[in-house]
Amino acid sequence: MPEVPSLLPLAICVVPAVLAILAYPLARLSRPLGPVLNLLGAGAALVLSVLLMVHAVQGRVLVSLSRELRADALSALLVLAISGVALATAIYAFPYMRLQPLLDRVSHAAGEDVTRRRLAGFYALSLAFLTTMLWACLTNNIIMLYVAVEASTIASGLLVAFYWDRRSLEAAYKYLLLLTVGIAFALFGCVLLYASAAPYISGEGGVRGMLITDLAQVAVHIRPGIALLIISFFIVGFGTKAGIAPFHPWLPDAHAEAPSTISALLSGVMIKMAIYALARTLLIFFPVAAYSPVSLFLIVLAAFTMLLGGVMCLAQDDLKRMLAYSSVSQIGYIVLGIGLAGVGFGHSAGYLGGYGGLFHLLNHALCKATLFLAVGAIIYCMAGTRRMSELGGLARRMPVTAVMFFIAAFAISGMPPFNGFWSKLTLYLAAAKAELWWALAIAVLTSVLTLIAFIRAGYLVFWNDGNGQANEIEVRDAPLAMAIPMGILAALCVVIGLYPQLVHPLLDPAARVLASVF
Amino acid sequence: MYNVRLIETLSLIMIVTSMAAVESQNLKRATTAYCIQALLICGLILTFAVGNPALYAWAAVALVTKAVITPWLLLHYIGKTGEKEVRAIIGFGPSVLLVSAVLIASYGLTHRYVHFLAPTVQATEGAFRTNLAVSMTVFALGLYAILSRRDAIKTVIGLCLLENAIHLSLVSLAPELRETALVGIATEVVITVAMLLYVIAGIREQIGTTDTFEMSELHW
Repeated sequence: MPEVPSLLPLAICVVPAVLAILAYPLARLSRPLGPVLNLLGAGAALVLSVLLMVHAVQGRVLVSLSRELRADALSALLVLAISGVALATAIYAFPYMRLQPLLDRVSHAAGEDVTRRRLAGFYALSLAFLTTMLWACLTNNIIMLYVAVEASTIASGLLVAFYWDRRSLEAAYKYLLLLTVGIAFALFGCVLLYASAAPYISGEGGVRGMLITDLAQVAVHIRPGIALLIISFFIVGFGTKAGIAPFHPWLPDAHAEAPSTISALLSGVMIKMAIYALARTLLIFFPVAAYSPVSLFLIVLAAFTMLLGGVMCLAQDDLKRMLAYSSVSQIGYIVLGIGLAGVGFGHSAGYLGGYGGLFHLLNHALCKATLFLAVGAIIYCMAGTRRMSELGGLARRMPVTAVMFFIAAFAISGMPPFNGFWSKLTLYLAAAKAELWWALAIAVLTSVLTLIAFIRAGYLVFWNDGNGQANEIEVRDAPLAMAIPMGILAALCVVIGLYPQLVHPLLDPAARVLASVF
Repeated sequence: MYNVRLIETLSLIMIVTSMAAVESQNLKRATTAYCIQALLICGLILTFAVGNPALYAWAAVALVTKAVITPWLLLHYIGKTGEKEVRAIIGFGPSVLLVSAVLIASYGLTHRYVHFLAPTVQATEGAFRTNLAVSMTVFALGLYAILSRRDAIKTVIGLCLLENAIHLSLVSLAPELRETALVGIATEVVITVAMLLYVIAGIREQIGTTDTFEMSELHW
């Protein structure tokens, strides 16, 4: 693939970063400026990401800062998904962050002045969070990949603790501690990789020790034993951030306790960024056939993650925790795709697995963001209630939100004619082609569990009139500015479901990077 | 080129300071032990800087972040929460025995079977081999502290030990590369530590303790 020097990857990182720096003081000066800057940052990132995608589709790899930043089709896909979901949440934040129950919850814990400060911080940190995720997907430097992933934890830690009450603080503590400990393993892996490549690093114009593309050239010289140790550290480190079981305990707490716009970002795209980091680091080693057991191990982890998430999803009464466990389960599908790409590395079976994994990554970003935004609307139209057993009968009172919820729920459960059906079908076919029947059976079973969990949730929240507080509270549907981003995301679920070939030009080159089929 | 004896001495004292940081039930004393360890790692980086002057910059940054800012932050928040550590899951006596077992096992195994771990031939020899074994031991002790301690501040000290262990292996495995200094500086976790302590202070305001067992609002 030809590498073309360009300022585009740099601009994608710099624009939201500059706005993040400006957001806090400007939002303190004037409260409406916060959401405007947030929208500007996410909007600019999306426009630039679309331009980047155009280059990627045309087979160009853009590089900035002496190849410190490098955007191939895989990076471009992630960057597009991240900025798309970020824009949806930025629009949604306009009415959402002004909702009285939300402000009451913050000011109850803090007071009026602190609430203003916290709201300004919310927009600055949201933009910083976006920047770090984009940076992680664009950097070509192994150490900066660690730094960006850790920076995304730092940027989002206080967003998880936004309400600053007992539950959110507890979630933030677990989030910061577990992710930092987990990512320490990835750092150890990076250090070992860097040191392993040291003997082959030549100074001027030669291989540079920190560039991922250059490390890939010398990976063949690294002893398999050390390489397996490094790979294990990467799986634990980036797997923790991705919410792969058994490293997932932080995820349900953080995703459930954060404000819904942040939950949508955490569940919709942050965990995918970690999957990207894992895939990118594993790709350094994958040309060597000796590592195929690693792929099989990933598939075992994926199956465990899928099943555990699916079962736990069924056991929840808290609507947001149910969605969070569903994310654990769906991450399993994406990891299954990555694992299948490794098992069939360099062959069409690997391509199919990688394609399915990336397709599901994109679909899950759309569906889960829609679901979290829909649930955010329900929670705050219902004065903070989020227990399914306390909700009910909302279908008539919140019809728009109900439609969005069901589209995304059926899509994520893999039902036709929605987008999730195609990505899951691709993964099933890839598993069958690799003759991993047990993985295929678990994937199908988990889809059934997901469908049951969402039908149960939908029934309890939207139809079950008997036990709902909805009868006592005056409920109105989500305001237009909340419905629009949900509507766009849900519409994409339908459109991609009806015309899956629309996203093929984006997924095909990215899957080729993942499975190295040229 | 390097002063091997000095490197080995500084490195081995790191194990003692790790044990003290983990086992001391007084949080201020544990912080002091961590601070001494931070000075030791600065000394080690300086020792390696003889062959790579770029490491002086890392030593200076490490001195500020590890030996000044992190202990200051820890002492600042300990001042608000009280010096005495919340009782650990394992009592003092059994914990000392367990730590000793972890120490002997991780040091013994990594020193003996260094070939499984060492990415380069140099790392299997002399002071480099010792440092790698020390690094794995400090890492294991840091993990032990995080898993066995109920006090949230003690878990942060455990996290700092993990970082020191990784930095010790970094400087020992690739001391002659110019980029090593940059890697060390970029991977300082002082901001994470500050944020964790800030959140822990918030938790203490809400529930009156830094006992992680009291953080029981969120289940499953």
